[in-house]
Amino acid sequence: MYELENINIEGQVVTFIPFGDIVGYLTPYTAILFIFAAVFTIIALISKPEKQVDIAFGGDAYYTKNVSVKQMRFQRFMAAACGLATMGGVLSGDVFNFTLFTAMVGITNIGIVASIKNRHILDNAYEYGILAMVGTLPLFAGAAIIVATTGTLSMWILFTPLVTVPLVAKLLLVIGVLAEGMAPVYVAKAEITRAPGAPFILMVHVSSLVLFLRVIEIVISM
Amino acid sequence: MILSFTDDYSFGLLIGFVCILIAFFAMMKETDDLHRLLLTDVIEIIALVIIALIGTDLAEALILPGLVVGIAEILALAEIYIEKEGLVKTPENFLKIEIMDTAPGILSAIMLIYGVILSGFTGGAVAGLGLLFYFLCRGSQKKTQILETISGYAWVCWVVAFIVFMTIPQYWFFAVMLAGTGIFAKVAAKMTIVGTMRGNRDV
Repeated sequence: MYELENINIEGQVVTFIPFGDIVGYLTPYTAILFIFAAVFTIIALISKPEKQVDIAFGGDAYYTKNVSVKQMRFQRFMAAACGLATMGGVLSGDVFNFTLFTAMVGITNIGIVASIKNRHILDNAYEYGILAMVGTLPLFAGAAIIVATTGTLSMWILFTPLVTVPLVAKLLLVIGVLAEGMAPVYVAKAEITRAPGAPFILMVHVSSLVLFLRVIEIVISM
Repeated sequence: MILSFTDDYSFGLLIGFVCILIAFFAMMKETDDLHRLLLTDVIEIIALVIIALIGTDLAEALILPGLVVGIAEILALAEIYIEKEGLVKTPENFLKIEIMDTAPGILSAIMLIYGVILSGFTGGAVAGLGLLFYFLCRGSQKKTQILETISGYAWVCWVVAFIVFMTIPQYWFFAVMLAGTGIFAKVAAKMTIVGTMRGNRDV
């Protein structure tokens, strides 16, 4: 019933989920991304938080960092939400829905990082958050220019050779995903990885990687 | 590509990009954390402007989620800012305004009467708001018991109305009135409880 015309990159549609006129779909390419995100979400859900050990210099003493149950619950919830948003972005067949899922990934990533009450980490989470907020501008602007020039947001139509999407819009979309998902990782990476709570921090990396692969697929197919 | 836009649209887009440049320049220059937070809101609004330039119903449908995302992010960032700067201060007493000593009696009486006239679900909400306002102003230590009683009677009214509906349907009008009164009292009681749970010992 629903078939992609351009199957050079991702192959033919394996399955689709119609929500009215917004039809989500999975191709072999996105199915792999979806399974990847799903596996890491389950890992984040079932695993216990890592407890770091700091060695005191010049002696045998060491001290462990404590992770409170409240903090663990919050981080786990955010990690699960992040995983779900990532899966939603992978599944989406509509450009604006994709941008919204990306923005949600940004918010949940802020949540994962900012749950640790440490001045340095909060400082970095703040920088992270500001970058993610600025990132919504190119993200939404890209989607808006796509709909203004082509009149549609549906990937089923945008992927056909009849429709040409302006390069500006594609660039803005990629920059948006970079700012929302990836760049913050590099802004605050050192502080984030030093923070306790290993399996949840992992979701930050997984979501940014998966979303980046997905946006590249969208932009090339358009 | 830009040429294929309609004239108004490309002009609007041009102005939008100028605004973006100004906002990003300000962002680059600013060093104070709080001001940078405010500037991100400016950038957020330009994003909405660019969506709004489409100028169709679809734009309206896209602005709403965009706005929600922006507000969610700015709330999250504000929380982080409060946390990292340690700006937490618990207020000593909530809402100490003079009007709250004088107005509640008459105002809640008016709302109660109007709620009775409206009846049903809406009336319950209006009357409940009136009672809520009264309890908010006068304190709610011992008055929750009365609400429980009212709530219980409301249940009884409702159940009796249902039994009447099932068994003697020819008295449907009586049952409707009874159920209407029941749901009115129920919603009013529920609305009154909203916001009164501040960790008092009897809650």
